[in-house]
Order: sequence, then C-alpha cells, then structure tokens
Amino acid sequence: MFLAVVMLASVMLTACSGLAPIPNTSGSSGGDTKTPQVAEPVSLNFWVFEELHSAFYKEALKDWNAKYPEKPVELVMESYPNAEMHNKLLIAIQSGVGAPDIVDINLNYFANFLMGDIQLAELNRVVDPVREYFVESRFDIYSKNGKVYGLPTHVGATVAYYNMEILNKAGVNPDDIVTWDDYIEAGKRVVEATGTPMVAFEVSDQRPFWPMIVQRGSDYLDENGKVILDNDINIDTLKRMHEMMYVHKIAVGMPGGKSWAEEFFPFMNQGGAASIVMPMWYMSRFLAYMPDLEGKIVVRPMPVWEEGDSRSAGMGGTGTAVTMQSKNLDLAIDFLANAKLTKEANIRIWEMLNFDPPRWDVWDAPELQEPDPYFGNEKIFNVMLEMKDEILSPNMHDLSAAAQDVVKESVMFRALHEQSLTPEEALKAGAEELRSQQK
Amino acid sequence: MTKKVADSKEGNVPSKNIQRIKKIFYSQTLAPYIFILPFLLSFLIFFLYPTINTFFMSFHEVLGMGNQNFIGLTNYQRLFNQNFYEAIRTNTLYTIFLIIILIPLSMLFATLLNLKYLKGRNFFKSALFVPALTSIIVAGVAFRLLFGEMETAFVNSILIRLGFSAKQWTLNHDTGMFLMVSLASWKMIGIYMIYFISGLQAIPEELYESAEIDGANTISKFTKITLPLLKPISIYVLTILIFDGYRMFGESFVFWNEGMPGNIGLTIVRYIYQQAFQRNNMGFGSAIGIVLLAIVLTINLIQLRFFGVFKKEE
Amino acid sequence: MRGNTDRKWIGWLIFLFFGIVSIVMLFPLYYLFLASFRDSKELFRFGMDLAIRPELMKLDNYKYILFGEGNIYLHWYKNSVLITFFFTILSSFFSSMVGYGLGVYKFKGKNLVFVLVLFVMMIPLEILMLPLYRLTVQFRIINTYSGVILPFMVSPLAVFFFRQYAIGLEKDFLSAGRIDGCTEFGLYFKIMVPLMKPAFGAMTILLAMQNWNSFVWPLIVLRTNQNFTLPIGLSSLMTPYGNNYDMLIAGSVLAIIPIVIVFLFNQKSFIDGLSSGGIKG
Repeated sequence: MFLAVVMLASVMLTACSGLAPIPNTSGSSGGDTKTPQVAEPVSLNFWVFEELHSAFYKEALKDWNAKYPEKPVELVMESYPNAEMHNKLLIAIQSGVGAPDIVDINLNYFANFLMGDIQLAELNRVVDPVREYFVESRFDIYSKNGKVYGLPTHVGATVAYYNMEILNKAGVNPDDIVTWDDYIEAGKRVVEATGTPMVAFEVSDQRPFWPMIVQRGSDYLDENGKVILDNDINIDTLKRMHEMMYVHKIAVGMPGGKSWAEEFFPFMNQGGAASIVMPMWYMSRFLAYMPDLEGKIVVRPMPVWEEGDSRSAGMGGTGTAVTMQSKNLDLAIDFLANAKLTKEANIRIWEMLNFDPPRWDVWDAPELQEPDPYFGNEKIFNVMLEMKDEILSPNMHDLSAAAQDVVKESVMFRALHEQSLTPEEALKAGAEELRSQQK
Repeated sequence: MTKKVADSKEGNVPSKNIQRIKKIFYSQTLAPYIFILPFLLSFLIFFLYPTINTFFMSFHEVLGMGNQNFIGLTNYQRLFNQNFYEAIRTNTLYTIFLIIILIPLSMLFATLLNLKYLKGRNFFKSALFVPALTSIIVAGVAFRLLFGEMETAFVNSILIRLGFSAKQWTLNHDTGMFLMVSLASWKMIGIYMIYFISGLQAIPEELYESAEIDGANTISKFTKITLPLLKPISIYVLTILIFDGYRMFGESFVFWNEGMPGNIGLTIVRYIYQQAFQRNNMGFGSAIGIVLLAIVLTINLIQLRFFGVFKKEE
Repeated sequence: MRGNTDRKWIGWLIFLFFGIVSIVMLFPLYYLFLASFRDSKELFRFGMDLAIRPELMKLDNYKYILFGEGNIYLHWYKNSVLITFFFTILSSFFSSMVGYGLGVYKFKGKNLVFVLVLFVMMIPLEILMLPLYRLTVQFRIINTYSGVILPFMVSPLAVFFFRQYAIGLEKDFLSAGRIDGCTEFGLYFKIMVPLMKPAFGAMTILLAMQNWNSFVWPLIVLRTNQNFTLPIGLSSLMTPYGNNYDMLIAGSVLAIIPIVIVFLFNQKSFIDGLSSGGIKG
C-alpha cells in the first residue's frame, strides 16, 4: 500500500512538471532560447532491451541538458530482456496504460506496433528536415503510409568479414572476390589448403539468407505486404546456400545455430571459419567476444549474385519511438531527435555502440575515419561510403514479425540443418503458413 | 474470528446480532461456505472474470484497446496446423516422460529414505531437495553450461572421452526433449519425494508390525500396505504432473529463449506466448488457451473419475 | 542374527546409492559455483576444470554485481525475499482454510467448488495476462508487492493438497470438540491446524519455492528495475546481443546460496515437521 502511495505521488509529480514550457517545435538548436532559467526537470520514462543503449541515452541526456537548460529532462531508464520488453510494451499499449514515453523497439517486433490504431507518435516533424542525410531505407522500415514512427539506430549494412590469417594460407585475396561464384571458388581453395570452412551460416536464425535475397531485390513480403517467401529468387538462393554446405562443402552451420550464441564466439575466435557475412554492427561483437582475431579481420562488401545486385543490405535495427501515452509528447520527440538525428548523435552511435550510424554525412568524419587496429588498420567507413546508395532494407508489414519467425524457426532449420525438407519445400511450407495468417 | 465470538460472549449486551453471528460460527451448514470464501472471492475476481474475457477474445480479432472485430470460429479453425500438433505432441511426450520417471523414482526415494536404519537420511533428503530451491532461470543457466554445444562443455567432453561425438543438444528434437525432461526431473524430484514422504508418515506403523507378525516380507509389505495407502497422494502427484506437463513453459524457455528452431521446445503455452505477444495475435492466443484448458480438464477429469476421487472419499 | 547382518548390508548399499544420487543432484550447482569464479569467455573456450584451484578463482564477478555501479542486484534480492515471505504466510493460511473446508464438510455445491479449484489450477497464466493486467491497474496495485501476491494468494495447488490431507484426518476429535462448545473455527484453529502441521510443513516449502521461482506474472506487474525480483533481474541479463554470463552465473549462485543456507538450517524442523505426523492412529 505504501508503495502505491509513493507511486501515486510520483505520478502526480510528473503530471505537475508537465507544465514546464513546451519546447518550440523544430529539433534544430534554437540559440535564442538559451535564457538562463531554473526549470524543474521533466521526467521521461525510457525502456530499452539492451543495457548498452542506456549508457548511450544517458550521454544524450547530458548533451540535451547542456544545450537546453531551460527545458531540462530527467530520464528514467528501464532495461528488460528483449522478448519480455516487447510483450510488456504490447500489453501496455493494448490496455492503454503503463507505456513509457520513449522506447527502443526491435525491428523484429516493430510491425506489431503499426497494426490497427497506431499508438506511436508520428515523427515526420523532426525527420523531414534531415531526411536527405540519412540512408533513406532506414526510415522506411519504421514507416507506414509515409509517416515515420521510429528513429533508426544503425544501418546494419551487411558486409563480409574475412579472416586474413586463413585467407593468406590459401593465397586468396578478398579484393578478388566479387561474385558469390568467386566466393565459392575461393572457399574451395581455403578448405583444401587449411581444412577450415569458408563460412558459417545461421541455421536457427536468418542470416545470411535474408541479406542475400534482399540484395537481389527479393524479400519475404513484397512492398504491399504480400507473401513472396517462396518466389524463384528465394528458392534459388536457399538452394545455393544448401549447395555451399552439402555439395561444395565450404560452409557449415554455426555452432549454437546463430551468430549470437555463446558457442559461436569461441568457434569464430579460434579461426573456425574463414569468413562470415553479417551486418556492420557485428563489429562490436568481434571487439567484445573475439579478442584473438585482432588485426586479422578485414571488412569488404558482400559478394553479388550477378551484375547489378547491390553489394549490401541493411539488416536488423532498433527503432526508437515515442508512445502516444506520453504526457510530454513534444518534449519527448524533441529529446529523441536530438539524441538520434544530429551529427554529434550519429558520431556518438559509432563511438559508444560501434554501430554504423544511419546518417551518412558523418561517415567521413575524423572519428569514423580513424583506422581501427582490430580491422587491419583499414578505414572501414570507406567501404560504406562506396556502397551508400546500394543499401536496400527489407519491406516491413503486418506479417513481418511472423515471417521472420517462420524463416528462423522453420525454413532455415529444416532446410539447412535437419535437411528434413528441401529448400524449395521448406520455403513453400513457410509461405503457406504465412498466407494462412493473412486475412 | 473465534476471538470475536469470545469477546461478544463476555460483553453483557446479548443483542440479536450477536446471537445471529454466534449461530453462524456454530453452524455446520454455514461454516464450510465461510471456509471456502477466500477461494470464491479470488476465483470470481482474478480468474472467472479474466477467463470469460479470454473466452470472449478467442472469437475476436483483437486490434488494440476496445478495438476488436468478431470473427466467429476463425481462430479455432486456424488451430488445425502443424505447429499446434507439434506443440501438443511435445507436451504429451514431456508429460509422459515426467510421469514415468518422477512417480516411481520419487516414491522409491521416499520409501528408502523413510527407513529408520539408514544413516544420513536427513542429509540425503536435503541434498535431493536443494535443486528444487533454485529458480528455473538459475537451473537453466547451470544446465546450459553443462550441456553446451562446445566440445569443451562438460557433458560433451565426457562423451568425447568415452569415444562418442559431441552433441548439439539444443538443435535436435531428441536431445532437446532430453534436456527439458532432465532439467524438470532434476528440479522436481525433491518436491515429489517430500509429497510421498508426508504420505508415508500417515501410514500407521502398526500395520507393518502386524504384517510382520503374519510373516510378510519387505516386498509384500510394500505392495500390500505402502502402495495402496499411498494412493491418495499418488493421485495428487499424478494430477499435478499432468497440469505441470501441459502448461510447461520455463523448461523450454531457458534453452530456447529467443526462438525454437524446428519447433523444438514449442509447447502449447509457448505457442500462446508466441502468437499473443510476439505476433500480436491475442485472439488466436486466447483460442489456443481455451483449447489447452479443454485438453487438460478432460484428461484430468477422466483420470480423477477413474481413481474415484469424487465418490469414495467423502 | 542373520536378519540384522542383512539389514546392515542393505543399509550400506542404500547409503552408497544415495551417496551417488546426491552427487549427481548437487553436481550442476557445484559446477555453477565453480563457473562463477571464472571469466565466462575463458569458460566457453577452455571448458571447466572441476578441481577447486584457489589460484584460478577470481572474485571479479562477485565484486561487480555486489559493489559495481548501480548496485541493483541487492534490490532484486530484497524484493524476492519480501514477496516470498508475505506470499507464503498469506497463501498457506487461506489455502489451508479452503482445503480444510472442502475436505471435512459435506455441503451443497462441494463438488462444484472442487472442480472450480481444479479449473483454476489448470488455467495457463499466459492467456489471462491481458485482462489480469488491466485489473491490477484498476486496483492500483500495479508495480507493488500486492500486485504480485494478491491474484495468486489462494493457491489451488495448496488447496488441493490440504483437501487431500484433511480427508485423511481422524474426525472423532471434531465431535468431541463440538461437545466442548468450540465453534467450527475454534475447531479448525485449535484442533485441526495442529493436526495438519505436516501438511503445513510441506506446503510452506512448496509455496515459497513456487513464489521464489515465479517469472511471468511478476514480469508483467513489476514495472521498474528497482522492483524486480531475482529471476526477472537475472533473465534481463540474457539478451540476443550476447548474454552477460559473468553477471548471470555469479548472480545465480548468490541467488541460491542464501536460500540453501536457510533451508539447511531449518531442514531439521522441515523434516521433523514432516515426520512428527500428528495423524497416526
């Protein structure tokens, strides 16, 4: 009961401070408003599903309070396990109470929050002024009918990470690998010379299958949300992956089934595979979990299937959204814009999170251009700049979350790991399941 | 409550009300209703209302608060799919394995640990019970370490030393089932053992003594006295096991918390969780829940009727 | 004579048998304990050395969760302990009342109520989450201990157990008590509760554990980090972006050690409570 009273009191306090001056709209810094004035900080609730992001937003908070002392903000950060946070958010949004002001939403779940009556705030007001500096497709994945509901955290541009120690033994130069056929040939030489597989695929998750089909212009759902999981491109791609594993024998399933399993990190760290194809944000995992590969890894664009395919695909993502339940809607939006859309914010994304920031005009900033000893002292973002206009992102629709689950849990596993279904059968079955869910 | 009555006795204003209250507290017809009142209240508020709500949702497409479309039996029709069959299959196998393993073993442990001449009984009881004290998350962490996929992980390193190959425990149906059943058995055997011990305590010593005089040996004492008299507690254990088996969630969650490749570890409740909260389909999730309810209710009512719980023991 | 030697041999055999069983049962926890002193990255790379080597054991993980920035772990701990404590007391009180009422009396609607108890027992919580959540918001018990405890205070499982137990009780005491002028509730508290002591023993342990372990519901009700219970806090360390094993393992060990100690110290009264058996004859 005492707790309830305290809770009530704090709710009332929050409500009072809601009277603080509402900031003028545009997210750009209005220098004229910097009149020294002691204002009560407005408290904003912020949920994240990754502890690291808390630190990032706390830094953004310092920045905001320094820039706008007249409308100070206080953040109440809560960090929850991934799946649970999204369940909790869904319950809060569906029942109309208890949602935070701001929330990090995993791309896998984002579509769930764009169904029916959308309970997230439209962000076009702050996005439109800076749209041109961003990789456009990163807004698309958080949009519906032209309205943006989430701000991207990274591009997640898919690249190939090559272990040079292994490639050198086989005399393979990664710059010679342009197409997947080149890649397979190089793989055969690697296997012959070292006995090490060229690559490891996720078998209980969806990479590199998803980026591979996106780079060919395909996807699970088309731009209208129709299921195209079993189209010819996808069948061909999965067949080729199956061949790499069981015919050319240059690929293996990842230990633990996915790139974030605890079994996979030591496997890769010990030189278990000569390369992997993962998004840019995976750099942070190399740094954190694979210390022995320091100086051995180089980053290159993805191989292509044929001329004209893009050399990358933007995968995964965290869209930060403001919920309609916020009592300080405008302030929350402005705070968020400052935390994610400015140049400094994007540089901070790289510095603090090791993600490839979605704002491309910072890619040549000195902070990002600094050679990284872990990645062969190369300027990684030059690779990004080179393919800036090729980075496609998947189509996001009502069925997106379901489609990803089906691919992860059924298609990849049955076709590549169990081999209980052929690639074609697995995709057909997955597509069938999705279509049955479509009304 | 007794105190209240006592107080009013002492007070020397015997009003009608007090008489009435007294009557209630002495009344054998009314008393049971007061005893069960806490249950009735919590049932009505925290279960009946939400259950009806859920039942209602199962016929709807739930789009958000106050926003739902009536779609009749569509959610139920969608249940006829491979995933749901696999979930039922997993639960059924899991429950059967638990019954086969846990009932005989915990009964055996309880009987042996009830032998007066066994040294260190209390230590053994504690040792067997300690796993039950751990939360499923903690137990899961331990099992994930033991059954890691690496060749250096404990169980795999033993397999390799014995000349077998390392196993990918969480990536195959058989080994996945093995993981869930062993985790559950490890964690629960202590509890079921305690149930049986408390059941054994209720058996009068004299029965054994007179049987001994009649020349019964250990085994016939067990089959003629112990087993029949453990029947009520066995029914209890069996019922709980069926419930636990069909609503299992945690044992799967700790191994496959983010996804269940090939539906390994997909149980009915995880299917609800997945559909309702991961795929935002509350209506369908509710329909699965209602069907789960029907399945478990049916199995247990048959089981309880079979053992005559409703008739004999009045 | 012969019988005695036999018995001795059998005694030793059983002793040996339980020795092995105990080792198997305790091994996962021993393993977890050892692992908590290791750097988890090394652990996955090199596997585990099962001998205790003090020179290899580092306290870093513990220092981190106990004294590290934020220090949230101890809050989780406190919450778990308090919630479990209140829940266990309230729940065994109410559940025993109901179970007793169902087991001892004959009354109209008895079977119906019993079926309802079973019904509640088998409702999977997951389907009730949304309506239940709305209720807790309406009752203003969201994010409170009451919110975690209240909806499940009458445990159908315990009711079932107490009912089964009460059925087996000798009813002669009751008529004797009635002649002495006890009210029905006086009978319950003065005569039947002491008789059901073993059942209370078993149920206290069971309810405490059930609550200590409960995961899904507290997760929904408790809204702030500070109010988390241990299982939720610990599971928040598992993320798809790399589990925080260093904290997870050490945190898990600390989560067990105290409750195991409490159990071991009270183990005698638990087990004595069970063996005292006031229900013979």
